Amino acid sequence: MSDKTTTTQSADAPLFREFEHTGDRGIELTAPTRVELFRRAVVALASLLVEVAGAAATEQRLIVVEAENDADLMHDLLTELLQIFMVEGFIWCDASVEEADRALRVTVHGEPFDPTRHAFHGEIKAVTYHQLTVEKSPDGWRARIILDV
Amino acid sequence: MELVKLSDYLWEIPKTGAMLVPGRVYASAKMIDDMREDPALTQVANVACLPGIVGYSLAMPDIHWGYGFPIGGVAAVDGDEGVISPGGVGYDINCGVRLARTHLPFSFVESRIDRLADALFAKIPAGIGSSGAIPGLSIDQLKEVVSEGAQWALRNGYATKRDLEHTEEGGRLAGADPDRVSERAYQRGAKQLGTLGSGNHFLELGRVDEIYDSRLADALGLEVGHVTVMIHSGSRGLGHQTCDDYLKVVGSAMARYEIALPDRQLAAVPISSPEGRAYLGAMAAAANFAWCNRQVMMHLAEQALLETLAIAPRELSFALVYDVCHNIAKFEEHSVAGHRRRVCVHRKGATRAFGPGHPALPEALRPLGQPVLIPGDMGRYSFVLVGRETAMRETFGSSCHGAGRLMSRMKAKKEAGGRDLNAELKRRGVTVRAHSRAGIAEEMPYAYKDVADVVEVMEAAGITRRVARLKPFAVIKG
Repeated sequence: MSDKTTTTQSADAPLFREFEHTGDRGIELTAPTRVELFRRAVVALASLLVEVAGAAATEQRLIVVEAENDADLMHDLLTELLQIFMVEGFIWCDASVEEADRALRVTVHGEPFDPTRHAFHGEIKAVTYHQLTVEKSPDGWRARIILDV
Repeated sequence: MELVKLSDYLWEIPKTGAMLVPGRVYASAKMIDDMREDPALTQVANVACLPGIVGYSLAMPDIHWGYGFPIGGVAAVDGDEGVISPGGVGYDINCGVRLARTHLPFSFVESRIDRLADALFAKIPAGIGSSGAIPGLSIDQLKEVVSEGAQWALRNGYATKRDLEHTEEGGRLAGADPDRVSERAYQRGAKQLGTLGSGNHFLELGRVDEIYDSRLADALGLEVGHVTVMIHSGSRGLGHQTCDDYLKVVGSAMARYEIALPDRQLAAVPISSPEGRAYLGAMAAAANFAWCNRQVMMHLAEQALLETLAIAPRELSFALVYDVCHNIAKFEEHSVAGHRRRVCVHRKGATRAFGPGHPALPEALRPLGQPVLIPGDMGRYSFVLVGRETAMRETFGSSCHGAGRLMSRMKAKKEAGGRDLNAELKRRGVTVRAHSRAGIAEEMPYAYKDVADVVEVMEAAGITRRVARLKPFAVIKG
């Protein structure tokens, strides 16, 4: 399995590793903590949609999601963000995450999407449940996500 | 994965474990060698576990790794006792292809390809960050679209009656229930009617470059050298969100029906359950959005050709050959073990391919068999086929849907490196307009199998017959 790492303006460490999936797009993330894992996933999603290096943090949106397990939380959070990008035309370059029991409060920082300034990489149709995992690892936390493109 | 060779083009995955029926894969020996390590074959076996599945879990030669179902998978379940799986239809409900022909010789447009590509690129929005030709629709207007399908386009001046006759299901799937589509799905679809999308979606100008069966080609209005327009798109955000909504509903209801499956993305409930009926109503609604979407885009493409070439409609002689969907679940009657049965056929990256004489085909096409449109990669060619009687006996009237990916998107981008992809395609005679470089890099010809090999397997197996080959010369990507 080959891999590629991506960094963004707001993260010094590699944000995610892309893994081979024939038709769609697979990403794998690691982080020292659960909160940081979700934060990285949020920023990774933005960087898959557009060139986030050109985005400024002039506005913010708050998302609250609640689910029975971490895989569902990841699915619901990223799906909510896809909706914000697709329907509201808002793109973010960073995020802050707070956890509370089964819920996550996520604030994303960004600005209205402008295709002339934020190079668009292509649509993401959905966050699939196929082989979706969010788990504690010996070094921290790890997630594996397949996106339908 | 154990595979038993049944013929040069057909392989069986024997029934083991929780499989209720065997799997069958249409492929050449070389294709089978290439796919042995691919998770797609495991997915064929997983689909064979769906309660109520009849015959075989089928895979077409363009099969590749999907999520839940393989892309290129066909599964028929009993129409009453079986289950419906939203993942067996996919996120892009009624993703499909349509082909229009013109009477323009390629020589007439050859010197104006760049202008044509620019006009089409300007006229047909990708859907993100662009304003569509149709202004944002209210939820009430969207409910009309999902109820009426391509008939909405007819009522609003974007279609002719003939267009609807040449569209699978007449461009409107019965049973659509607009109230089963969520507000979120409507929000995602509000500004997307008449938009292409990205990924592998495209609009392509091509020319007929080879005819394999002149009787069938004549009947479909295809003549060597004449310009064609092919569109590949689906139900856009409205369909994607509908699938996502029902994966959740169905996933949490499964336990109530004591259904356990090897992959969460395969989630399924009985067709007759409240959740199953709700999904089918929402799926038909999203399918209707897709037909209307492709119809509107085709109308916009016709306008772009007329305006750019400054010719009269009579000179252009633009006409829809056919429109097929390749992500759908439909109730059809098929022969299973010698008995006629009403089944629900899931086609996930597979095209309906009814043989000659089928009553579902419009009168003009009935003697020919259903046209089957198989796009290849953007640098090579696409095919027009027709369904044959064997398809009715062996594949629940189904065929392949495209070339099938050879390379992951990631590998294709890596391969693209610092190359000038536009120039490379230009050397192959193809002018491209795209909203992102990644959109071209991931879809380069080297990322796909040769669609001719895929089509050859279907022909050798007696499923479809080749009618014509089309060569692209201008491609619009989202």
